[in-house]
Amino acid sequence: MTKNKVAITLGIMCLILTAAVGIQIRTIESTSSTVKQTLKDDNLRDAVLKWKEKYDNKYRELEQSTQQLEKERQKSTSTDATSIEKQEELKKINAYLGLSKVEGQGLIITLKDNVTSKIGTAEDVVHDGDLREIVNELKNAGAEAISINDQRITPSTAITCIGTVILVNDEKVGAPFIIKAIGNQERLWGAITRPGGYADILETYLTVDIKREDKILIEKYNGVLTNQTLKNEE
Amino acid sequence: MKKGEGTMIITIGLVCFVLCTVMFMQFKVVEETDITQLETMRESELREQLATWKERYEEVNAEYEENIDKINEYIDKRESNQEASELLEKELESAKLTAGLTNVIGDGIVVTLVDNVKEVENNEEEEIEDDYQVNKGKVEASDLLTLVNELRLAGAEAISINDQRIINMTDIFELNDYIILVNNGINGRVTSPYVVKAIGDQTYLESALTTKKVGYVDQHSELNITVEKQKNILIEKYKGTIELEYSTIKED
Repeated sequence: MTKNKVAITLGIMCLILTAAVGIQIRTIESTSSTVKQTLKDDNLRDAVLKWKEKYDNKYRELEQSTQQLEKERQKSTSTDATSIEKQEELKKINAYLGLSKVEGQGLIITLKDNVTSKIGTAEDVVHDGDLREIVNELKNAGAEAISINDQRITPSTAITCIGTVILVNDEKVGAPFIIKAIGNQERLWGAITRPGGYADILETYLTVDIKREDKILIEKYNGVLTNQTLKNEE
Repeated sequence: MKKGEGTMIITIGLVCFVLCTVMFMQFKVVEETDITQLETMRESELREQLATWKERYEEVNAEYEENIDKINEYIDKRESNQEASELLEKELESAKLTAGLTNVIGDGIVVTLVDNVKEVENNEEEEIEDDYQVNKGKVEASDLLTLVNELRLAGAEAISINDQRIINMTDIFELNDYIILVNNGINGRVTSPYVVKAIGDQTYLESALTTKKVGYVDQHSELNITVEKQKNILIEKYKGTIELEYSTIKED
C-alpha cells in the first residue's frame, strides 16, 4: 500500500517537473531567437554603415561629374547669348532647389532645449512641429535658402520625428538646432521677432537666440531630387 | 527495505535532482534574455535606416549615370560641331519640372478637406462652447502644413492646394477665419474645400495618410477628410517666378 503511494507521488512529481522543463525549453527556444536577433542587429548595423559609405562615395563621384558636366556645358555653349542666359537660369533654379551652396545676408536662429527647467515637461524640448513652424515663418518672410543643422530645405524635405529623434531629409539632427536663412535681413528679423510670432511663443519654454548676419553660408542638399512618376503636361 | 526498492528510490531522487538543476539553469537564462529585449526594439529602426540609405544610394547612382550620359552627349555634339542648345534646353526643362515651374501630370492621390462647421445657434449661454465647437472642425493653416510634410515624407513629387503649387519656399498661413494664404509672395488665397493633389507612388502616399491610428486622417479625426487615388492628375505650375535677390551661388 505505502509502496504504491510512494510510486504515485514520485510519478506525479516527475510529471510536473518534466512539464516545467518542457515549458522552459519552449520559452528558451523563442528567446534564443532574440540572441540571434542581437547578432542580426549587429549585421544590420554593419549593413547600414556599409550602404552609408557606399552612398557617400557615390555622392562624391556625383559631385565631380556635376562639375565636369558644367565645364562641358560651358565649352559647348559659350558662344551663344541665349545659351548663356539659359545656363544662368539653370544655375538659379538649382540654387533655389537647394542643389548648390549659397551665401548672403540673413538670420541665424538657435533653438535649445530648456535644460534649467526642474520639471521636465514636453514643452521644454524642441519638437519637429516647432521647426516646421519656424521654417514656414521664414518662407513667409521671403527666405531664399534655409538649412537646419546644415540639412538644406529642398522641395522634398520633410521634418519629422521617430520617438525623440528629429529627422530632416531622413537624417538625424539634434539640439541645439541651428536654423540658417538667407533673404532680406530686415524682413526676416521683423517676421521672426514680432510679438506673438512663433519664436516669441517658443521663448517662454525654450532658449531662442536670433542673430543677424551679413554673410551666411548655406550648404547644399547632400542628396538628389528625382522625379519618377512626374511628367510634363503635353 | 528490499535492495531493489532502495536503488529505485535513489534513481528517482537523482532524476528529480537533475530535473531541478536543469530548471534553475533555464530560469537563469530566461532572466538574462529579458535584457536583450531593448536591443531587439531597435531592429525596425535599423531596417528603416538600411532601406533609406539603399534608396538614397540608388538615387545618387541613377543621377550620376545620367550626368555621365549628359557629359558624353555634350562632348559628342562638340566633336561633330553640332549645336548643343537643345541639350541645354532639356536640362533646363528638367530643372523647371522639379522646381514646379511647369504643368505636370502623373498618378497620385487627391485629398479633400472640408471645414466641418456646425451651425451656431443664437444662444448667449452656449456661446463659448459653440465657439469651440465651430473652430474644432475648421481646417487651419497648420493642418495643411502638416499634410504637405506628410506627403513629402511619403515621396510626393508635386503637390498643390486648390491649384496653388507647393514649391520649395511656399508658406502656408491663415489670413482670417475663412481664407488661408498659400504662396504669400503671389498672394495665393485658398478656401474650403481644400483640394490637395499629390503626384507620386500611390501606395506610399495613400498608406501614409490612411494608416490606422497613426496616419494623418486618424490623427485629425475632427476634420472632414477624404483620400482618393487617381490616375493622370494634372497639377498646375507655380504662377509666380523664382527670384534670388540676396543669395550668391558658391562654386564648390
